[in-house]
Amino acid sequence: MTTTDAPVAPELRGSHRLTTAKAMVEAIELEMRRDPSVFYIGEDVGAYGGIFSSTTGLLDTFGPQRVIDTPISETAFIGLAIGAAVEGLRPIAELMFADFMGVCLDQIYNHMAKIHFESGGNVKVPMVLTTAVGGGYSDAAQHSQCLWGTFAHLPGMKVVIPSNPYDAKGLMTAAIRDDNPVVYMFHKGVMGLPWMAKNPRTLAEVPEGDYEVPIGKAAVAREGGDVTVVTLSLSVHHALDVAEKLDGSVSVEILDLRSLVPLDREAILASVAKTGRLVVVDEDYQSFGLSGEVAATVTDVDPGLLRAPVVRVANPDTPIPYAHALEYAILPRQDRIETAIHRVTRA
Amino acid sequence: MSDVLFPALSEKQPDSEGVLSAWFVTDGETVREDQLTAEVQVDKVSAEVPAPQAGVITLLVKEDETVVQGTPIARIT
Repeated sequence: MTTTDAPVAPELRGSHRLTTAKAMVEAIELEMRRDPSVFYIGEDVGAYGGIFSSTTGLLDTFGPQRVIDTPISETAFIGLAIGAAVEGLRPIAELMFADFMGVCLDQIYNHMAKIHFESGGNVKVPMVLTTAVGGGYSDAAQHSQCLWGTFAHLPGMKVVIPSNPYDAKGLMTAAIRDDNPVVYMFHKGVMGLPWMAKNPRTLAEVPEGDYEVPIGKAAVAREGGDVTVVTLSLSVHHALDVAEKLDGSVSVEILDLRSLVPLDREAILASVAKTGRLVVVDEDYQSFGLSGEVAATVTDVDPGLLRAPVVRVANPDTPIPYAHALEYAILPRQDRIETAIHRVTRA
Repeated sequence: MSDVLFPALSEKQPDSEGVLSAWFVTDGETVREDQLTAEVQVDKVSAEVPAPQAGVITLLVKEDETVVQGTPIARIT
């Protein structure tokens, strides 16, 4: 278990304030400078800079040979990236929205994820699949899903999901350097984009130079003793809002998973062993997914750690509505998280 | 000394208003030439504002404040 609030000796390396989007771009830029085999490919990743600012400025720095705009054929360009990876390059392929996985899933889960296994470990696929996830801005049912539970369910891919600028940079560096396929899922609401709902935690000090956030390690976003909230991505910010509001009455510990594959089960168990109460907050669909997996992580080892039943705050298995009021009713926002915390602490 | 101006994002309407979305530097900080200081937005178009020279920056506009294009948003001495 590690914490995110102590970047490596920032006073020695210098640091600067960056949004999550700019921190992600900085990691890509540093790795592209360091390693000529790294390139970025996807829709609108060149002149446009990524529709959620995941590649702003990279085309100007590296040119169209290494920052490649593609036609709208996810199967073709993700397949191209897989081919390039098995031949020794380190592609980063961007699937504009995770919701679009349906048109290219064969390339992702039958090829990218399985080539290493099927070759008896002889062929590596050192690529990163970046993709935007999440709702909260009325982009409706086909552009607002998280779907990380689906990627994590399919074996053969690492899955990382940063919630803040420091982790966004460090996880991107680690993902690029990893010899396995890594799915890097960024929530639009944590990127610090000027046209999204303002979130002060999406702009923070980030060390200059390169560093890695280890894949598979959760972080304690806030220490507490009464209840553990296990969550990730934008929901970390919502949970922190609630914890700050309840400060003085309920002591809330927040665990930011940061990676789903591998899942830091030890960190979950360590926190629940301390608090005895567990709330799982997940913007993905509730059934057959992350929230059940986190609960099972505890009950598989020792159900006696729990002093109250686990409460899940997730999408109640419905497509995401366009209408603002309906969308906010199904998203795991502050009101539902606070209710859940009261439910487990009064049980 | 030089002023840091809110960039002209709308050429057709020079008196367009925009929002100072985010400061990447703090008041009184020493900045390098071309260092990213701010992000601004007119409608849904955003732009970065680099420092025109090195020096100590004084912020003249708060985050989320609305200003007309071309207005000084900071001063570097």
